[in-house]
Amino acid sequence: MSSHAEILGFDVATLAGKIRAKELSPIEITDAYLERIEALDQKILAYITVTTDDARVAARKAEDEITHGNWRGPFHGVPIALKDLCNTRAVLTTGGSKILGTFVPDFDCTVWARLREAGAILLGKLNLHEFASGATNTNPHWGTCRNPYNLERIPGGSSGGSAAAIVAKMAAATIGTDTGGSIRIPAAFCGCVGMKQTWGRVSRYGVLPLADSLDHTGPITRTVRDAALMLQIIAGHDTHDSTSSDEPVPDYVQALDGSLKGVRVGIIKELLNGVSDEVALAFNAALREMRILGAEVDEVSIPHIEMSSTIATNITFVEAAEYHEQWMRTRPHEYGADVRRMLEAGMMTPAIYYVRAQRSRAAILAEALKALDNFTVLAAPTAAIPAPRIDVGGRALTDRGEQVDMVAAVLRFTAPFNVTGQPALAIPTGVAPNGLPVSMQIIGKPFDEATVFRVADTYERARGSIAEPKL
Amino acid sequence: MARFNAETVKLLGSELFDYEFSDESAASVAHIIGAMASYSRRLHGIGLLGIQPPFGYPALRAEADRIRRILP
Repeated sequence: MSSHAEILGFDVATLAGKIRAKELSPIEITDAYLERIEALDQKILAYITVTTDDARVAARKAEDEITHGNWRGPFHGVPIALKDLCNTRAVLTTGGSKILGTFVPDFDCTVWARLREAGAILLGKLNLHEFASGATNTNPHWGTCRNPYNLERIPGGSSGGSAAAIVAKMAAATIGTDTGGSIRIPAAFCGCVGMKQTWGRVSRYGVLPLADSLDHTGPITRTVRDAALMLQIIAGHDTHDSTSSDEPVPDYVQALDGSLKGVRVGIIKELLNGVSDEVALAFNAALREMRILGAEVDEVSIPHIEMSSTIATNITFVEAAEYHEQWMRTRPHEYGADVRRMLEAGMMTPAIYYVRAQRSRAAILAEALKALDNFTVLAAPTAAIPAPRIDVGGRALTDRGEQVDMVAAVLRFTAPFNVTGQPALAIPTGVAPNGLPVSMQIIGKPFDEATVFRVADTYERARGSIAEPKL
Repeated sequence: MARFNAETVKLLGSELFDYEFSDESAASVAHIIGAMASYSRRLHGIGLLGIQPPFGYPALRAEADRIRRILP
């Protein structure tokens, strides 16, 4: 019989084996997580809603099914949580906002519908930057989520609750969304894995949009294998989302063959400057590890990649402003100041800049694909710095108390792969001497998540575990 | 020629969106748009001649087909 502490230490792949073998019950696993949330979440604020009663009902149902030989797959009986942008029938879905503070959808988003069908148990809905509109996860309506490694630091955003819940062991796996980096930034700052898959790989039906052209919904997990297991369930065409791809979904887990022989890793040289010493040190150590594992590593150029922040900003501001226009006219004071400012800027952005930004995307993607002509995957730091400090005003601060330029610190590393729509996975490279995680991205060809997973998984196994937060 | 300043932002907000900008936000947005204009002009440096925006007819048709299925 495992203790709750032992149960919380198991990743999804391990839980799946123990559940299937009936060594662990979904009921005891769910109880362990609910107890953990009760004990910790008041100081982390990863959750907006905890669905305690429903989770226990679902756990009993899963236990009953599995006992009678009806095991649905690796997520059957596994407790997960969803970013509170994801519609869940009969469960509050706030978007992290005051405007939707009492909104209860009457349908599930496709991502949750698929996970539910796979037998996953919903622990609750996770905190985020209001309407997914920022990278700090400070939230004036639902409280500011904290970084489990240091409660005075931001978890990153906008999927901060999703990453914090993983690292604080308050969920076995979570779902986030990513428009300019919102899965990868919190994964980087909180020390876990975040997969932004190819645009259109996963349905966005029932997920509140920030910018449709750039939005992705994907896994935030403890390990690469867990991310692969989760993507396996949620990927694939959805008739409710006409932008979802009908590209066949391969077996992501079978592709984890543990070898980097023949793999060529292209380090994007334009993203090597402006990073902190601790990020650079860990990134270089990761590249050395990949060489030891058999990969060839070399620099590659994507000449106009630095334009991506402008492209992503133009598109995000305008598409978000269009979506929010009615509320901005009727309920402007219910927005947080930073979100309102972004939407106001979007209202004033000339259409010509929007169209130009959209046209520019193909040019950046062409350069990235050309780079991948000679490399298997690309690599870059996920962010220039570890997690900044939280400011009472909701900003992110350096250790010297200056406001962090979030474009220079994070967006310039993550936004390019929203612009191009390529798969990009953030994986920890270690914990810096200041006790904060640092991270790198592995980026692949469109719809080649399998190779991204393979490279990241092989590196992760060689890296070994990283120091956990002291909670 | 009028400068794009807080006053312009407030006028456009009111006329185009029936939206009232505060003085502070109008000034801030004017600054943001000024910077955006500068950065957006630099996008020409990528070489955009002949590049199509990603608004293909298949996407339009797919979305219309989806809507058609749920029309009464």
